[in-house]
Amino acid sequence: MFIKGDKVLLFEIPSGERVVPKLKCPVCEGLVDVPDDALEGELFEHQECGAQLELVVENNQFALKIAEEVAEDWGE
Amino acid sequence: MIIGLAYDLLRAEEKFLIDAARRLGHTIKPIFILRRIDWLNDTSSEEYRDIGFVLERCVSHYRALSSAAILEGKGVAVVNSYRIIRDCGDKLVTTAILASKGIPVPRTAVAYSKEKAIEAARELGYPVVVKPILGSWGRFIARATTEDDLLDILDFRESMSSPHFKIHYIQQYVDKPDRDIRAFYVWGRVPVAIYRYSKRWKTNTALGGRAVKADLTDEQAELIIKAGDAVGGGVLGIDLMETKDGESLVGEINAVIEFRNTVQVTGYDLAGDIIKSTVEVFKK
Repeated sequence: MFIKGDKVLLFEIPSGERVVPKLKCPVCEGLVDVPDDALEGELFEHQECGAQLELVVENNQFALKIAEEVAEDWGE
Repeated sequence: MIIGLAYDLLRAEEKFLIDAARRLGHTIKPIFILRRIDWLNDTSSEEYRDIGFVLERCVSHYRALSSAAILEGKGVAVVNSYRIIRDCGDKLVTTAILASKGIPVPRTAVAYSKEKAIEAARELGYPVVVKPILGSWGRFIARATTEDDLLDILDFRESMSSPHFKIHYIQQYVDKPDRDIRAFYVWGRVPVAIYRYSKRWKTNTALGGRAVKADLTDEQAELIIKAGDAVGGGVLGIDLMETKDGESLVGEINAVIEFRNTVQVTGYDLAGDIIKSTVEVFKK
């Protein structure tokens, strides 16, 4: 899913148009660069504070939340 | 072809698959399952009408299992299927299937009490390995070199709240060289494999095992294919242990594969292979 303005797009956005702004880190409130082609559920490490963050869509807006911790049934 | 990608966390492997699909001219429809509500009584497949198949890529075993079941309930083809994910997600079931089809596996006993687990270990001979039937990345796998060790491990397991820890899966310890083999099975072929070297007896790359490109013998490749076929095919990661006598035994089989280390050390475009081969299967 991709967000462009207030539209939710299911498929790819044209390259060259930045639709993901810098997002606020929920841990340190610093700004985090998120690539244009990022997908919901993608993880980012905030270089400034070291937090592991996950890209989410809330109310049709991109946001970052603290990433889910590894659970017992994760992985192979 | 439109290819669905069901996921709960976007890892390197999912990005490789998305890139490969786009490079090969396909369209990816991301299905981020954590933001969905799926109504089980709505069996309409309208949402998935144009999708050729869905790659099941949830990192959580139970999410992979449940989302595969939901998609299949709507008539969508899922790779790997619910049944394969279920059978490969439980080491007891995998070993039972492989053994029943004559695939060489380490000697393994299952016991439902401490006393019977100790009896089984005495028969196997120490050291023995105790594994959780559900588990990953080598966690909670323990080696007992004496009966005292085993008692400690069993006490610990029996104090865990999850019922699966009370099913004791006890296996012959395979005195392998300081490596094991992770081979990839893609629709009846073995395109690439790695050795996982470690000074520890557990060689999982998640625990620091070092990946190196492996050249399988014809017998090993044949064994991998038989093992993959035995659990139903698809796209699998199959572990082999080499014994000191030159025999190879199948360890576990993974149905939602992790392959970033393999790509890194072999340069093999496994994601491209998976996409191409799976598209071929569903074109028919």
